Formats: sequence, C-alpha cells, structure tokens
Amino acid sequence: MTIRNVRDHGQRFRPRMACLKKVESVMLEMQDPKTGVKSQPQRLVSTTIPHAITGEDIVAWLTNCYSIGAEEAWALGTMLVAFGYIYPLQDHKRLVIKPDASLYRFQTPYFWPAQQWPVEDTDYAIYLAKRNIRKRGVLALYEQVQYNSLHKWMNHKWDFIVMQAKEQYRAGKERKKPDRVVFDCQERAYWVVHRPPPGTVSAMDYGLERMVDPNTEEKQTSDFFRRIMIFTQQSIMRPRVKSSVSIGALVKYSVTYNKHDPFLAPCLPSNPWVTDDVTYWFLNMANVGIPTKMRVERWTFSFGELLSDPRGRDDFRLFLKKEFSGENLAFWEACEDLKWGTAATMNDKAQQVYKTFLTRGAPRWINIDGKTMEVTVKGLKHPHRYVLDAAQTHIFMLMKKDSFGRYLKSPVFKDTQKRAICPDQHMFSVPQLEANARKRRPSISPIIVRQLEQEERARMATSGPVDITQVMSKLSNKGKEVPPSKK
Amino acid sequence: MDGVLLSKLKNLIKKTVESSSTADHGASGEECKTMLDALNKVTACYRHLVIALGSTSDSQNLREELKKTRKKAQELAVANRNKLTELLKDKTTSKDDRAEYERLWVLFTSSMELLEVDMKRSLEIGQEFPLKVPTRHLIQTGMTGSTTTVAARAMSVQNMKYDADSNIDTADLKELQTEITQVGQMMEEMEMKVQVAPWAVEAKQEAGAELKSTLSVGNSSVGVISICEEDARSCPGDENCCVCIPNGTDSPYSPLL
Repeated sequence: MTIRNVRDHGQRFRPRMACLKKVESVMLEMQDPKTGVKSQPQRLVSTTIPHAITGEDIVAWLTNCYSIGAEEAWALGTMLVAFGYIYPLQDHKRLVIKPDASLYRFQTPYFWPAQQWPVEDTDYAIYLAKRNIRKRGVLALYEQVQYNSLHKWMNHKWDFIVMQAKEQYRAGKERKKPDRVVFDCQERAYWVVHRPPPGTVSAMDYGLERMVDPNTEEKQTSDFFRRIMIFTQQSIMRPRVKSSVSIGALVKYSVTYNKHDPFLAPCLPSNPWVTDDVTYWFLNMANVGIPTKMRVERWTFSFGELLSDPRGRDDFRLFLKKEFSGENLAFWEACEDLKWGTAATMNDKAQQVYKTFLTRGAPRWINIDGKTMEVTVKGLKHPHRYVLDAAQTHIFMLMKKDSFGRYLKSPVFKDTQKRAICPDQHMFSVPQLEANARKRRPSISPIIVRQLEQEERARMATSGPVDITQVMSKLSNKGKEVPPSKK
Repeated sequence: MDGVLLSKLKNLIKKTVESSSTADHGASGEECKTMLDALNKVTACYRHLVIALGSTSDSQNLREELKKTRKKAQELAVANRNKLTELLKDKTTSKDDRAEYERLWVLFTSSMELLEVDMKRSLEIGQEFPLKVPTRHLIQTGMTGSTTTVAARAMSVQNMKYDADSNIDTADLKELQTEITQVGQMMEEMEMKVQVAPWAVEAKQEAGAELKSTLSVGNSSVGVISICEEDARSCPGDENCCVCIPNGTDSPYSPLL
C-alpha cells in the first residue's frame, strides 16, 4: 500500500498543464467524420489497422480550423504529439509532427495526460514487467536501469507487480490481433511521453507539484484581510526610487549582461542542455586552471561578480598575496563561512575569527574603523550568524574601492586575461546529436565535490596564511642586516 | 449489498470460522491466495476494459461489461478483506504465518488501489463520452474489435450475456459514483483497523520473475508482425523501433487457479 498521507482528490495541481482541457476539445473536434481529420488504414504485414492519419493532414487541418500559418500549425501539432494526445507510428521516440506522409494515430482517452491523475510508478513497473515478458528479458538500457531501481525501492510491492503484469499480459491476449497491436502501440507511446528515453523531449516536464489549486478563489476571512493590510503597509514604507533611475539601472544591466545570457546569445562551445555535450561545464568548473574569456570579462563587471566566482576569487587572492593584503579577503571568507556554516560550529568559528583578525596584535589584523570594531566586539559576546555583518560590509567596501581597481590594472589579472581561452562553437550534425544524447551520463556526485573542496581548504589552511607580525619583524630587521636569502 | 451477496458472505464466514477453529492456517492461507488471484485477474481485465472506453471500440456492451466486472471485483474485494482481516486479527498465528498474511495484505491493498483509480477514471471518461448523443465523437484509436473475451475472462464464463437497458451509459454512472465512495471508505477503514507496515514486507519474487512460467503461455515467435511500415533496415538500427507480436495461434488458457 502506498503511503496515503495526502489524499489525492485531484489536489495535485500543475499550473502549467491548464491547457490540457483545451487540447481535449481540439481532439474531439478532430474526430468529426465530416469536418475532422481524414484517416486512412495502415497496412501491416498480416493485418490492416484503420484510423491512421498523416502528419500533413494534421497540419493542414490545424491551419484551416484556426486560420493560422503553417509554421504555427506545425508547432501546435508538435505540442499535441509531445503531450501524448497523438502518437507517431514510425520513429516513435521522437515526439514531433513531421508535415509529410508520416503516420500518426490518436491516443485512447485513458492514456491522455490529465491534470489530476499523476503518473504512478507502480503502473510503470507493471509495464516494464510486461515488456520484459514480451522481449524475453531483453530491455533497452534505460528501461533496464529504471527496472532495477524500481525493483529496489518498490520491493514490498514486487509480488503484486509480477502477478498483475502476468495477468494483464494474459488478458491482453484475449483480444483480436489488430487490437493487440494497437494496444501495445498505445501503451508504449504513453510511456515514451511520461518516462522519456534519453534524447526524447516530452512536454511533461512541469516542475514542482503544488498542493493547492492556484485557480481557486481564496476565501475572504479576517486572516486574508489582515495579510492584505500588512502587505500594503509594508509597500508604503518601502523606500522609493525614481523610475528614471531604476529603469536606467535595468537598461545598464541588460546591456552589460546581454552577451552572457545563454538564452539570448549562444554560449561557447555549445549549450549542454541543447546539444548534450558537457564541454562548457568542464571549461567553467570552479578549479579550472585557465578560465574562458567570457568568464574573465564577467569579473570586470563588478566586485561582487569577481568574488562570487570561485576562480575569480582565487585570482584575486593571488593578487592580494603579492600585495600582502590578503587578510581582508581571508576575513571576508571567514564571515561567509560563519554565515553559511552549521550552528554547532558557530561559537568556535566566531572565537577563531576574533583571535585571528580582530583582537589587538592579532596575526592577521584587519583595518576597520573604531565604531564598527566596537559594535562587532560587543556582538561577539553573544555570537550569532550575522554578528560580523557590519565588519564584513566595511571590508567589502574597502576591497571594492581600493584593491579591486588595482587588481584590474595588475599584471596578475592582465596575464589571466591574456591566457584566457575562447573555444570554437560546436557544429553537431543530427546523428552526432543523437550520439551525444546516448552518451549522457550523470556528473560527479556532489558529495565527492564537497569532499574535494574540503580537502582543498584544509590544504590551503596548512600552507599557512601570511602572518603579518612575522613579516613586520622581518621587514624591520631588513634595515639592520641583510637576511640570508632562503629561497 | 443484496441478498445474494449477503448469503455468499455468510457461507464464506462460516467456512472460515470452521477452518480457523481447526487451527488449520495452511488451508486458509491457500484459500486466501486463490481469492487474491481471482481479484488480481479481475483487476487486470477491468483495466483492459477501461482502456477501451471513449475509443472506437466503446459500445453499449462495453459499458455493461464494465459494470459486471466492477461488481464482481467488489464482491471479491469484500470477501478478501473479511478473510484477511480475520487472519490478521488472530493473535495465535506463528511469525512466519503472520509475515505471509502481511504479504497477502499488501497484495490485496495494491490491487484495491489500482481498482479504485480505474473506477474513478472510468467515471470521468464515461461522463465525457456519452453514447446516446446525436453526434458522438469517439476517438478513432484504431481499436475496433469487441472486448467480450476479456470480460468473459474476468467473469470466468465462456460467453458473456448482455441484458442491460439502452441508457446504461448514463444510468450506470450514478451507481459508479456510490461504489467509488464505498471503495474509498472501505480502504480508509482497512487502514485504520489493520496494523500492517507495508514497507516491511519482503517480496518473494526476484527481479525478472515474470519471465518464468510465462514462456509456456503464448506460442513463440513463429513469424512476427512488426508495426514499422518500412523494413527493419530503414529504421535507425534500434531494436526498439519495432514492436513484435508473436504470431502464433491463441494459446489455450492455462488457468492459474
């Protein structure tokens, strides 16, 4: 028995699927014997099955019925196929409409995607078991993977699944041959839409499920009105900016980031979501040695961009090391660590930060003004996540106004800029794209990535930050004697 | 419930009381399995029938078949539930027996879930596709044959007899609605009364178990029909391009019972 904490009385609303009801009425209109789509029989080796329709007929009917252009009709037709209302008889894994003599057929209402009937894994397991029977144990690779995973987590129901699969298989044999063929096609088409094989694009990717129907009218209780009142009060209190200023900011943002938006400009070498080739992600990893030109350009947009990109931060850290002012960045990173770390470690971290950066004579003393220092030290008596916020902001502004400008003119940055690569754009042919889709594999587990990051941090910590007191004493000794060169 | 059902129930209860009074749990376990297999068969057939709803193989007969199959499923469900609840309430069963009964319970509830969903869907589709309207638009799915053999299998009879009124497509829907609520209530009751942790049940079948014992069912690939119009050559070297159906004669129905 499935866990029934949430009684599914059709409550799982998927707002983007509100168009399904409309598509159903289109389907009904297409069935009209006089004004609907003309059907023809499909001749197979030993049987003839009626009600096959050609792609061009569908597109022509849509063009006439809705007085739209051919391209729009083609897009609408593809949508009908992607949702699973019509399925292709040849090339069943590609859910598109081909406006030629390729054959399609209507799907039976039971297999229509309906907003309130979620697709159950139990049914999929039964289908895979049936397919296993028919194919005598030889399933496609992606089906085999799904089968094994379902067998693992649905194990308690597995007896039922096997029993039901066998019974459904036997009951199916009771029908006549042409109907059996049609049924198999229908079921297969249903699962191609709802459990797409690699390389198939289906329209069923609808995001998170909602538990509340977003289209219902909310009941106007006192709670409802109280919420509206609070919202309006807060809106009045919000600081306002002249629209010329805010629009100017939007325009500036759009102009700056125009070429960096993957929706508006092609990303080099190619967009992995489109071509299934992951070179782009490899070239832009956090610890890559040579960054791409686009990435380096992004660092120049603002200091925030530089810091938020781990590779940029590394570069900046290198620059600061040469200037012997790395403590600012180290302090900033320590504050981030405190903000985002676990609650258990907070106290220790705060104390560590105080000892290392804030106290008088600290090894990596940072230069913040007296008032901020006072506030911070007072807050550290009862440390919480945001106790270092004021100091962090001060240091951030300091770095931004001072170091950032120097960084952009420094040899470190200029060198990185010169060495940055600009990959060529991929030109994949259709068979190459299909090969890419087949070769898709999951990327490194985030657990491993986090372990690598932790090791990296540990290594950096042991290599030791520059201890300012030692450096100062060395420098003061420099005038008195020539220190032996150690390097 | 009508008189026939009540008397059937009484007989069943008498039988189970007798069998349990002799503390012969083995026999009642077997009885349970038999009844569950029957319920499983009816559920599978019901699903096949609901899939044909709204398509060109929909007809008066189909609606009647649905109604009869549904009623049979409900009878079996009630019988199964009583039997299993009684077995599970008995505190004197051994641990192994209890584990077995819990496994049967999971089989039962899974069947009921499928049945409930299929009943709800048949209500929805039945409402959308009434038969007695001047311009009826049944979806041209390519299925044109009748489903009597499937229904006959569900009812365990040789031939189906049709004796329903001509307005069955609308009249039956009201009954269906009440039955759906009944089934829903029954399942809620079951959840409350019987304390079985379904995730703790271990399946007896391993992966690929469906391949055994079905190799005898259905004659093998003496001639296959592929639904690809073109030759296998023009299909992009993909074994899943064609759906092959064994072309043998219909195998004799080898009953599981």
